[in-house]
Amino acid sequence: MDYTRKQMMAVALSREIEDDKLYIIGTGLPLIGAALAKRTHAPKARLLFETGILDGDPQEVPTSVSDLRLNYQAAILWPQYRYFGFEILAAERGQIEAGFLGGAQIDPYGNLNSTCIGDYAAPVTRFSGSGGANGIATFCDTVIVMKHEKRRFVQRVDYCTSPGWINGPDGRRSMGLPEDRGPRAVITELGVFRFGADKRMYLAELFPGVTPEQVVENTGFPIDVTRAVPAAPPSEAVLKTLVEEVDPHHLMT
Amino acid sequence: MKRGKVVTAEEAIRTYLHAGDCLALGGFSTNRRAYALVREIIRQGVRDLTVESGAAGGDVDMLVGAGCVKAINISYIANSGFTMVCRRFREAVEQGKLPAEDYSLDVQTIAYHGAALGLSYVPVRNMVGSDLEHKWGISDEQRKDFPKLPAKKFILQEDPFHPGTQLCLIPTPRIDVACIHVQKASPEGICRIEGAEFQDVDIALAAAHTIVSCEELVSDEEMRREPDRNTIPGTCVDAVVPIPYGAHPSQCCGYYDYDPQALQEYDRVSRTQEAFDRYLEEQVLISHEAYLSHIGDEQLRSLRTDRLYGYAVGLRRS
Repeated sequence: MDYTRKQMMAVALSREIEDDKLYIIGTGLPLIGAALAKRTHAPKARLLFETGILDGDPQEVPTSVSDLRLNYQAAILWPQYRYFGFEILAAERGQIEAGFLGGAQIDPYGNLNSTCIGDYAAPVTRFSGSGGANGIATFCDTVIVMKHEKRRFVQRVDYCTSPGWINGPDGRRSMGLPEDRGPRAVITELGVFRFGADKRMYLAELFPGVTPEQVVENTGFPIDVTRAVPAAPPSEAVLKTLVEEVDPHHLMT
Repeated sequence: MKRGKVVTAEEAIRTYLHAGDCLALGGFSTNRRAYALVREIIRQGVRDLTVESGAAGGDVDMLVGAGCVKAINISYIANSGFTMVCRRFREAVEQGKLPAEDYSLDVQTIAYHGAALGLSYVPVRNMVGSDLEHKWGISDEQRKDFPKLPAKKFILQEDPFHPGTQLCLIPTPRIDVACIHVQKASPEGICRIEGAEFQDVDIALAAAHTIVSCEELVSDEEMRREPDRNTIPGTCVDAVVPIPYGAHPSQCCGYYDYDPQALQEYDRVSRTQEAFDRYLEEQVLISHEAYLSHIGDEQLRSLRTDRLYGYAVGLRRS
């Protein structure tokens, strides 16, 4: 079965989700990856949303973290302030495996911008803002979804909405952030990126049909591609689940 | 049924919301936003509002586009899945016409909760180390011209009880008026929110005046029969506006789904001020009844939520 790059991204996202663990999910493609994981290898994965909706089992693609589709079979619909406390306490107890985020710009250390391009005081392009991303990036490990373009993979983000590893191994401590958690992976239409001991992003997996040169060309900072292995293509069964059950109307993939 | 606090949207907004007020709006992005009340605010041309929005949607964008907003505390503004960044807001900020201060959504959530608890500020560990800490949208100096904003975005302070940790002291908003849309309300103002309440109970409790629009007006006796299902007491509510489809085009749990056609149309018309102004003329500056007949009975029926699933199963969204 043929598949698109976006579908490959959804599959890669789903692979970041393990059974029986708890994840904070944001808007967009992560919702697809999570729904796919729940229908394939991780039926007991639990999903938490910044709206206070916990552990639902969406049958149709939700378009927002507030979508009524997330309420289906949910454990609880908390007032939002309960999410605030739970996010911090559960993360500190190691009960939140990771949070999923997206953004407009990212730098080599996984610092993420979802606020504006240009000077914050007079932006060239204004985005929707942090949403719950800042809190998730502060307290949890994160998996980040990005469009892979040179103008988005930049040496320095114009605005750091969600702190990553800041500027290296000592970055988070120097900023007063919990130091033992941060960006874990970045997933783009070209591959999967992870962070080394120096806390810089490197290419870990290359998607089928993509060359390391393409990654270098589309990244606005020096990127190590020497450690990359080919990503496993999605199985027929997983693709079938994605196309027929998770996103049959191609709302997101 | 007795009249109690039941009024029209026109009376409610005219009585309680004034130019220059701090306004908080309920719901989340495309779920249970108080659209009918917002349209009435625009009809009455209430100006110079300081808006506390939480996860705002097209309703706040319409207020911005209609020139009602003087400043905004913001963490998110999108018709998620339809418009990723609301366009009147975006243009106003890019053109330097709308002073905006960024927080993160969870911080706004806890600030509203703090306001409902009567607290002056809430100490949080969020925002530290990011540009939400380092960059301010509205400076101390500018804030002197905005009496509804606190004197500072926040104060950074070491935790006096557990030294070594930096805290952001986030001021809680002084909300003049909260507008929320609920499923059921009674003449004395008892409210029942079904589905996720988001931060609506907090802003309703924190506000000096709360205006509630509802899908159904239910008697006080009926509401008092099952008090455990009630979410806001009448003491915290000033006006009750029965207005079916008052959250359209956003969702209202147990009643209707979002309206993909209307949200896609808003995505188009909000691209330019000219098209937006025409939309105001045609779909906002008209009565709620005229608005609903413009949407059409058949379309509204297609949005009805399924009893088992809680949304409109198979709703065409692309």
